[in-house]
Amino acid sequence: MGVAAVNEMSLRVGSGELFGLLGPNGAGKTTLHRMLTTTLFPTAGTARVAGCDVVREAPQVRDRIGVVFQEPALDDRLTARQNLELHAVLYRIHPHWLPSRVREALAWAELAGDADRPVRTFSGGMKRRLELARALLHRPPVLFLDEPTAGLDPQGRRRLWDQVTRLREGGVTVFLSTQNMAEAEGCDRVAIIDHGSLLAVGSPAEVKVLVTQRSDATLEEVFLELTGRGLRDEEATARDHLLGFARRGGELTR
Amino acid sequence: MIHGAALPALRYSPARFFDARVVLALWRRELLRYRRDRTQWFGGVSRTVLWLVILGYGIGSSYTNIEGYTYTQYILPGVVTLNILFASMQSAISLVWDREVGLMREILVSPAPMLSVALGKVLGGSTVAVAQGTIALLCAPLAGVDLSVARVLHAWAVMFAMGILLVSIGAVIASRMATFEGFGSISNGIVLPLYFLSGAVFPIRGIVGLGGFLVDLPWWLRALMYANPVTYLVDLLRGALLDFQQLPPWLDLLLVVTVPAAAGLAAVTAMSQMRRVK
Repeated sequence: MGVAAVNEMSLRVGSGELFGLLGPNGAGKTTLHRMLTTTLFPTAGTARVAGCDVVREAPQVRDRIGVVFQEPALDDRLTARQNLELHAVLYRIHPHWLPSRVREALAWAELAGDADRPVRTFSGGMKRRLELARALLHRPPVLFLDEPTAGLDPQGRRRLWDQVTRLREGGVTVFLSTQNMAEAEGCDRVAIIDHGSLLAVGSPAEVKVLVTQRSDATLEEVFLELTGRGLRDEEATARDHLLGFARRGGELTR
Repeated sequence: MIHGAALPALRYSPARFFDARVVLALWRRELLRYRRDRTQWFGGVSRTVLWLVILGYGIGSSYTNIEGYTYTQYILPGVVTLNILFASMQSAISLVWDREVGLMREILVSPAPMLSVALGKVLGGSTVAVAQGTIALLCAPLAGVDLSVARVLHAWAVMFAMGILLVSIGAVIASRMATFEGFGSISNGIVLPLYFLSGAVFPIRGIVGLGGFLVDLPWWLRALMYANPVTYLVDLLRGALLDFQQLPPWLDLLLVVTVPAAAGLAAVTAMSQMRRVK
């Protein structure tokens, strides 16, 4: 590995906070998510989630978090209900609670009427709501959302964002990455990162003053000030090739 | 309210390595997916028609018999095997897909023990493979093979062992692949040799030609066939369906237990490591 995707970053997120991670493409947002959700081991340094070390206590971390990925991680040949039931088993939901938790999750995602339809027939917004409800099914104290509203239409985006902000009422700590400045404004605190380094952190108001010395600046101005105006074109990864292959309808794609 | 503080006794206590409910849930998932996958059913039917009916009758009209069996009778266990081979490779491919853009990412961040996840996947994939093989088995009367309940049960046991072996081989390969753009050629490069070198389409002992001379196979071809674990499973399957075996039964029985078990262990180990990305 040549380039460090995330390097020497020190960050603390308080309990019950809605924390926004901002950064251009390739800034290291997804890498940070993967390290904090235990699917990528940091080569140096430590991170603790809900009090547990992401390397040494990875099973305990997995037990305490809910995760929504950038692209849907649903089985689209199963129905919404079957996806939720599978999740409930993975997270050891007691059989006694399982049916009522699945019902609650479906109602919360406003998918009660579509519970027994295969997920492949769902719109992008429906899949996202289902994933968010699924991530909450086991009542995790910490929720990770990697660009949860990316690719949604304005209606779907608004609906989902309302649900995310309402999570504060339940005391859930939300760690989300976003490229949407309006969403970032709605966070309790934000961190702006680029090239794997932390550039600024604080409440949206604090960050504005800190970076531009003006209180009437927009978060977008701050963002561009810190990360520059150059375009970020990412190189295609193996995964993009895979998706492209599937879109072209390659052999044996579903 | 869906979120908030944990409910009392919402979850049961963690299992370190094994959770039977996870195994069953993953097993069930494979079957639910299979039920909705019409293209896979179609593939099973079309391969059966192509190999058993067209090739079976086509080649069968040139050969009078193979040690007393017609060619369609002889090839039936082979066609069952072919369907199992394809189903197993499809199961492996779905694993690559699943890990990159599908449900496996959700499973990897969950606290579920990977050992149980892998076991459910292998058992589920094998069950689907048996179902696909059964499509060919349904055509037994067409091939002139009389089935009894005992024969079918015997065949299913062998087919399940075959499924475990092939799904496991596929899972080991898939867990090392980042993309499946090349998977088509790789799986063809595995499926077809395993099939052709298994005694599925021509006998290991050679064919008694016209005039009664035994036409022997070249030594290297035989060596490859003996090295192929599928050979022994096909032989057992033929024993189950036709009472015709070309290899010593004790050898078949030894290998039908040990080789799939070893492959299954390798697959479960390989899949358990999917979570540990450095």
